[in-house]
Amino acid sequence: MDTLSRRRFLKLTSGAVAVGATANLLSLDQIAEAAINRPLAAGTPIIVIVTLYGGNDGLNTVIPFKDPLYFSSRPDISYKAETMLPLDAELALNPSMTGLKGLWDQKKLAIVRGVGYPKPDRSHFSSMAKWQTASPDKHISSGWLGRWLDSQPEDSMLAISLGSVLPPMLAGTKLSGSARPIGGLTIPKGTLAAGCTQLSKVARADSPLMAAAATSMRNLFDLSTSVQPILKMPAPVAPDLPTVNGGNAGGDSNLSQQLDVVAKLIAAGSPTKVWSVSLGGFDTHANEANAQAALLGVVSASLTKFMSQMKSTTRLNDVTVMVYSEFGRRVKGNASQGTDHGTSGPMFILGEKVKGGFYGDQPSLSKLIDGDLAVTTDFRDVYATVLESILKSPAEQTLGKWSGRTNFLTPA
Amino acid sequence: MWVLCGSSKSPLLFTFNIYSLFMNIIRLETSRLFHRFGFGPRPGEFAQAIKDGVGPTRTKFLTPPPVDAGASVIKDPEITDLGKRPAENSKEVVPFAIAMRYQSEQMVLWWLDRMALSDHGLSERMTWFWHGHWATSLQKLNYPLPMFTQNKTLRTNSLGSFNTMTKAMLNDGALQFWLDGQDSTVKAPNENLGRELMELFVLGVNRYSEDDVKAIARSLTGYQVDRSSGAVTINQNRRDIKPVSLLGTTAVFTGDSLADFLVARDDCATFIAERLWYRFISSNEVMPTDFAAKAAFTNRSIASAVAGMANDSAMSNEKYELVKSPVEWFIAACRALELVPSRLSTSGQLINYLDKLGQVPFSPPNVGGWPAGGAWLSSATAQYRITFATWLVKQSALTALTNIPIESRVLKSADWLGIPAWSARTQSALRSSLGDPAQFALLALCSPEYIVSA
Repeated sequence: MDTLSRRRFLKLTSGAVAVGATANLLSLDQIAEAAINRPLAAGTPIIVIVTLYGGNDGLNTVIPFKDPLYFSSRPDISYKAETMLPLDAELALNPSMTGLKGLWDQKKLAIVRGVGYPKPDRSHFSSMAKWQTASPDKHISSGWLGRWLDSQPEDSMLAISLGSVLPPMLAGTKLSGSARPIGGLTIPKGTLAAGCTQLSKVARADSPLMAAAATSMRNLFDLSTSVQPILKMPAPVAPDLPTVNGGNAGGDSNLSQQLDVVAKLIAAGSPTKVWSVSLGGFDTHANEANAQAALLGVVSASLTKFMSQMKSTTRLNDVTVMVYSEFGRRVKGNASQGTDHGTSGPMFILGEKVKGGFYGDQPSLSKLIDGDLAVTTDFRDVYATVLESILKSPAEQTLGKWSGRTNFLTPA
Repeated sequence: MWVLCGSSKSPLLFTFNIYSLFMNIIRLETSRLFHRFGFGPRPGEFAQAIKDGVGPTRTKFLTPPPVDAGASVIKDPEITDLGKRPAENSKEVVPFAIAMRYQSEQMVLWWLDRMALSDHGLSERMTWFWHGHWATSLQKLNYPLPMFTQNKTLRTNSLGSFNTMTKAMLNDGALQFWLDGQDSTVKAPNENLGRELMELFVLGVNRYSEDDVKAIARSLTGYQVDRSSGAVTINQNRRDIKPVSLLGTTAVFTGDSLADFLVARDDCATFIAERLWYRFISSNEVMPTDFAAKAAFTNRSIASAVAGMANDSAMSNEKYELVKSPVEWFIAACRALELVPSRLSTSGQLINYLDKLGQVPFSPPNVGGWPAGGAWLSSATAQYRITFATWLVKQSALTALTNIPIESRVLKSADWLGIPAWSARTQSALRSSLGDPAQFALLALCSPEYIVSA
C-alpha cells in the first residue's frame, strides 16, 4: 500500500472505530429523525448491484473440489480441499467465504454458474462494457439500468452509485443515475448556494456536455437536501480494507463502507430502487491465492453484515443483492502464482426472497474451449429477471427481445 | 451564443452576424488550443492570441521553444532508490515509509508545478496524454523512483518517434512490474503485458486474436525488474526463444523487433489517431476515417500526428466538445489564478482534493487510464469541485480578475479564463456576484462553460 491509499485506509478505519463502539445497528430514533419526505413505498423491491472489478477467478470462488483437474491445472493457487466450504458433493466456496456459506445453508443464496456472453472478450474494458451495457454484440454507450431509468419518471434518487465516478451501467440515453461519495457532504450555503443553483439551470445555448455539467450540479442539491441528515448518522464498524497484492483494474476498495451508507439510506426510506457498489483488485495475475481469499472474505463479510443490518429495518424482504465480475480467469495458472484473463464465472444473488441453490450448469474442466471455461448461462437471463421480477418493468425495452430467464426468486 | 440569421433584411445586421460567427469560430479554436493543447491560458494570453489570429497561435503551440523558461525554474525532486522494504513492525520500516511518502508527494507536486508553470503547454500536455496512455500506477509499484524514470521517458519522447517510445516502454521497469512482466517465463508466460501492449498501447482492441495474445506473451518472457530502482534486465534462461506465429508472421521476436513489428502495422496508425481523437477532440463522437492525425502519423512521428490534428477541420467544429479532467481543470485554474501547486496550503489537502475528484497523477485507476466525458460530471464530482475551487480561490490574490473594470468584468472574464463565450445563464450568475470577486471566480470556475471545453 502506498502513501495515498494508506492515508485513505487510516482515515476510514479510524473513523469507523470511533463510532463503532456506540452504534452497530441503526436505532429507531435515528431512522425516525432522518426519515425523508417521500419514502419508497413499503414493499417496493430494491436491487443492490455489486461489481467486482478486475475479473474475479470464479474457479477459486465456487470450487470443483472433488475434481482432480482443478488441483492439477493450478497447483500453485488451489486451496486445500479440507479448508473449503462444501456446498454439495462437488462444489465448495472459497475458504474465506464463511458468511455467504451461512446464507447458502439458510437457502438465501443463489449461485448462477458459468455466466458470460457469446464470444467472450478478455479485455477488462471491453468485457466490463459488455456487462454494463448488456450489449455483447455491438458497442453502445448506454448502460442497461440507464435505459431502465430512461423509462422511469425523472428522479435523481432512483438509482445511486457509491463512489465519485458514475459507472456506465447507470448512464441512460436521456437520464442517468446519481453518484454518491461515501463521506459527508459540504453543501454550499447562502449567496454561494444561490449562485450554484443558478449555474445548475440548463441554458438554451448549452452543448450536451455543458447541459450534463449543469444537471450534475442540480442533482447535487436535490440529493444533498434529502440525504444530508441521514449521512450524519454514525456508521457501523467496517473492519475491511485488506492490503491487496494482486490487482489494478478499477473499483473502490471499501465495500463495507459503501454498503453501510446503502444500509442507512435504505433504512431511512430513500426512494431508491437501484444501488451500485463496487470492489476492485480482482486482477490477480500474480500471487493470487492469498489476495483473492482476502478480497472474497471482504465480499462475504460485507454482504453478510449488510443482510443482517436489513433485519433491523422494514425492508428485509424487499432487498436483493446481485454480485458479478467482468470475466473469470484462465483455468491453468501462470508462472506468477496467478491466472490470466478467462471467460465465464459465477454470479451470486442473495436476499430473503431468493430461492437458494444452483442455477445454470457448472462448466466442465474436461471440456475446455481453448483452455477456458464454457459459458453456460447468458448474463441477460439474470438481468431480464431483475428487470421483471424486481424492477417490475418489461425486459424488452432494456434488453431487446430476450427469452432467457433465471428464476431465482421465490414466487410471490 | 450568436447565430447566423440568414433571413435578416438588414445588410448591416447581416454583416454583423457574419462577423460574430467568424469571431465565434476564432474564439472556439483559440480556446481549444489553450485548453486541449496546453493547460489553459495565463492572464492576458487569450486576448493576445485572439489578436494574433488562429494560425500564428497554432504555430506557437506546435513549436516547442529551445528553453521552457517557465518550467525550468522547477527543480527536479530528489527521488532515490529506497531499497528493499524493511520487515513490518521493524524499527527501519518507519523512516522507510516516511521517505516513500515524502518522495511520492514531491513527485506529484513537481509534475503539477511543471504543468502550471510551463511556457509551452504542449510538451507537458503530451506527457500527460502518454501517462494516461501507458497508464501505470504508483499504487502497485509502491516505489516512486521507477515512476519518476517512466515520466522522464514519456517526456523525452512525448513528441518524438512512437517507435522509439514503444521500445523504451518495453524496457521501462514501472510498466514491466505493473503488468507482471517480471513474472513471465518460458515455463508459464504471463499474458498481462502482451495483451495490453496490443490492446491498449499499440493496436487497439480486437485487432488481434486470442492466439496472438498467447504468442506475444511468449515473446515477452524473460524480463526481470528490480522493483525499487526500476532497473530492467533480461534473463535468457527465462526467455522463450522458439519462434511464434504473431499476426500472420512467424519469427523469434526480441522486445525491439516486436516494437518495430507492431508499430509498423496500419492498425497502429489508426489506433494512435483514435486515442488522440478521444483525448483531444471528442470522447463521445467516433473518429472520422479522414481524421488528419492518421495520415500524418505515417512516419510514426508524434509531433507530426499532433500537428495534423491541430490543423484538422474538426478543431473548428462545435460538435466536438470535451470535459476537462480534474487535473486539467485544476491546472487551468492555477494558471488563471496565478497559483503554484506546490505552494498551496497544504500539499496534503491538495492531493486529497484531487483524490476525491478521482485523478491523482501517477495513480490512474487501472491500465486503461482515466475515464473521459460524462464520467467526470457526477453530482459527487460537482460537490468536490465546488469545495476544491473554494479552497483555491481563497489562496489567490485574484489580481487578474479584479484588474478587469467592474463594468465589463462579466464578459471580459471569458478572456481571462480562455473560454469562447458565457451563456446567458452564467452571465446572470456572475453578474449577481460582481460585489464578491472570490465568489465570482468560484462560480466562473465551476460553470458548465469552464468545466467543458466547448
